Amino acid sequence: MASNIRPAGVFDTSYAQDMKINRTRTSRFLANAAFVAVLLLPLLTAEGGLGLSVVPAVWVGIVVRIAIYTIAVIGLNILMGYTGQISLGHAAFVGVGAYSGALMARLWGIPFWIAVPLAGLFTALVGLLFGLPSLRVKGFYLAMATLAAQFIIPWLMRYPMERLTNGSRPLEVPDPQFFGFSFGPQVVMYYLIIPLAVLMAFLARNLTRSRVGRALISVRDNDLAAELLGINVFRYKLLAFFVSSFYAGVAGALWAFDIGSLSLDKFNLALSIEFLAMLIIGGAGFPLGPLFGVAFINILRENIIPNVVSNFKVVLPNVFPFIAVADVESSLVPFLFGLALVIFLIVEPRGLAYRWEILRIAWKIRPYAY
Amino acid sequence: MEALQKFYRENRTLVTWLMVAAVFIVFYLLTQERLNSLRPSRMVQTTITGLLVGGVYALIALGIVLINKASGVFNFAQGYMMLFGGMLFYSFFSTPNVNPLAAGALAFGTVLMVLAMNGWRELRNLRSLGIGVAAVVVLTLLMSWQGEDVRMLRAIVGGITGSVFVGLFIERFTIRPLIGQPLFTMVLMTLAVSEILKGFVNLIWGSVPISLQIFSGLERLGLPNTIRWEAEFLQGRVVVRTDLLVTFFLALAAFVGFVLFFRYTNVGLAMRASAENQQLAQSVGLRVRVILAVAWGITAILAMLAGVLQGGASQLDLNLPFVAFSAFPAVLLGGLESITGALVGGLIIGLVQDWGNLLYGNQAGTELMPYLVLMIVLIIRPDGLFGEKRIERI
Repeated sequence: MASNIRPAGVFDTSYAQDMKINRTRTSRFLANAAFVAVLLLPLLTAEGGLGLSVVPAVWVGIVVRIAIYTIAVIGLNILMGYTGQISLGHAAFVGVGAYSGALMARLWGIPFWIAVPLAGLFTALVGLLFGLPSLRVKGFYLAMATLAAQFIIPWLMRYPMERLTNGSRPLEVPDPQFFGFSFGPQVVMYYLIIPLAVLMAFLARNLTRSRVGRALISVRDNDLAAELLGINVFRYKLLAFFVSSFYAGVAGALWAFDIGSLSLDKFNLALSIEFLAMLIIGGAGFPLGPLFGVAFINILRENIIPNVVSNFKVVLPNVFPFIAVADVESSLVPFLFGLALVIFLIVEPRGLAYRWEILRIAWKIRPYAY
Repeated sequence: MEALQKFYRENRTLVTWLMVAAVFIVFYLLTQERLNSLRPSRMVQTTITGLLVGGVYALIALGIVLINKASGVFNFAQGYMMLFGGMLFYSFFSTPNVNPLAAGALAFGTVLMVLAMNGWRELRNLRSLGIGVAAVVVLTLLMSWQGEDVRMLRAIVGGITGSVFVGLFIERFTIRPLIGQPLFTMVLMTLAVSEILKGFVNLIWGSVPISLQIFSGLERLGLPNTIRWEAEFLQGRVVVRTDLLVTFFLALAAFVGFVLFFRYTNVGLAMRASAENQQLAQSVGLRVRVILAVAWGITAILAMLAGVLQGGASQLDLNLPFVAFSAFPAVLLGGLESITGALVGGLIIGLVQDWGNLLYGNQAGTELMPYLVLMIVLIIRPDGLFGEKRIERI
């Protein structure tokens, strides 16, 4: 799993070139254009103030959700893609972040911009605790340990801490405050969350191409060899858990402040599986993987599957009389989601980001075939 | 910090056992008050119920261990395979006249998958084609045999046929293409398969809970619904449901049967050989691909059995797969490679669940305790009680 695939014969000639994030003019142009387009998006909607309505207003919400999910999946990417530690409990950590951020704002009136990083830190400590088994186990065993987190954490939040978290009932989150200025409308949240997401992605990219990142990758590729090279494997595994849970916590807190009402049922195993699916479909171990995966799964979930299902709703009960109309939607959604995952895993198990790298090379050395 | 690490390294055993002792002391202190206020009858009742429930866990755990031994995949879809098998069994059990066309299609699919285990080329072999056609005819006749009296036979044949089909289908089209891929691709694949099965079951059988009356025959045999036991020292009465008891013994019998199968038949021997070392098994002429497919087929049958027994003891609905999520800790507790471990782990998890529910309430036993046990096992003894010690070579 190479994160940077280059055509044969392309080498860096200077240190500055090696350190560049966008190595070519095309990629720099694409990155900047995408950033500007995302920043301009709310202004082009009907509520934008410019009087234009080029873009439907729902897109703002979609982009915010994609950004929040991307932060969480970047965390998972550091843990799984770079360090090779499976996590089936990422949703629980996002839940810890969401609830701790919301409770900080509710109980102590901590302002939004302090509560989000604090929630991230608290989640990181919780993640450290559940990363401890990685000292002794790996592979499926570690997957089971994180699955344990997915069951233990929501239970703890639901029953013993019911007075804080409202148990099974929803928890209202106060509107985020910034020096006495309240963020109600979605557009303002948009301009808070998008730069934050870009910043987090940038930090993750910097982490993974530094000494720490190379150490993490060596732990992934062969932990015994890494240990023989003098890398403190346990320390780096715990670091990966810490950073990953920090990202999960920040994403959770942002989520809490964005939607304004939390319920424990959201942070279940299904969400963990969805995070895993996003990462692997996007491409684990690629810097762009989380973004691709989140965008793809979101579009699949919100646009493609509902359209298909609404067609089947009429057809299926007519063809097969034993199928009830009420069951069609609740059953076809997991069915199609699972089917899409299976097809994807068989056809392109290395993910969309890998395809993208291949495409980039093909573009670079055109008109020759890759 | 350095001194602490040094101390830990030098006294590893001592520190571990001290930690175990500390956990037990804390546990005792936490539960002492509650324990003293309990009557002995409640304790005996909880122990018996827990053990009986553990029988089904042992079956589920056996299926997972089997797949893991044969192919190194942890099957997260076991719960939904269980639900699917149970539902299929229910369909054949409750429908007095099964449509011969549907039964024939199912039999055809299964026989096709069985014949093509090693590759589609086998279909050109006239002899196996003849056997296949005969098998389709026999299975179809058995499955569409009408009448109330033979419903058990019909359901068993139909359930086994259907679940073998599903097991082989999953192996052939989702697991086999992924050989050589990283571990978490495989994890995601079994999870995706369970999503598909969930949607499929929900689509065909709906989301209304179904009660599977497989134990209604017990009353006709003159057995009581419950067995009561009263004694002086119990200070109360212990009630054991007969269907749970029968479930437990059936599960145990199936377990013993499969263990004997692995130990004394050629196929079982081949499976154990290929689990030990796939390349070596291949080099002595065993067809590893067939063996993997057989492992998935047997696991599907085990899952169906567990689903039928669990569904008969409670009911069949979309919450049934969560039983399997309690059986995962049983697998790790017993050891990923150990068949004995599956039995012991299943029984222990059953006990832990019921005691947890008794002592703490709030669903603590069902949702929390198995995974707490799992965490403790992973930290203290990651290989499980009977698992192989993994020695890493470079």
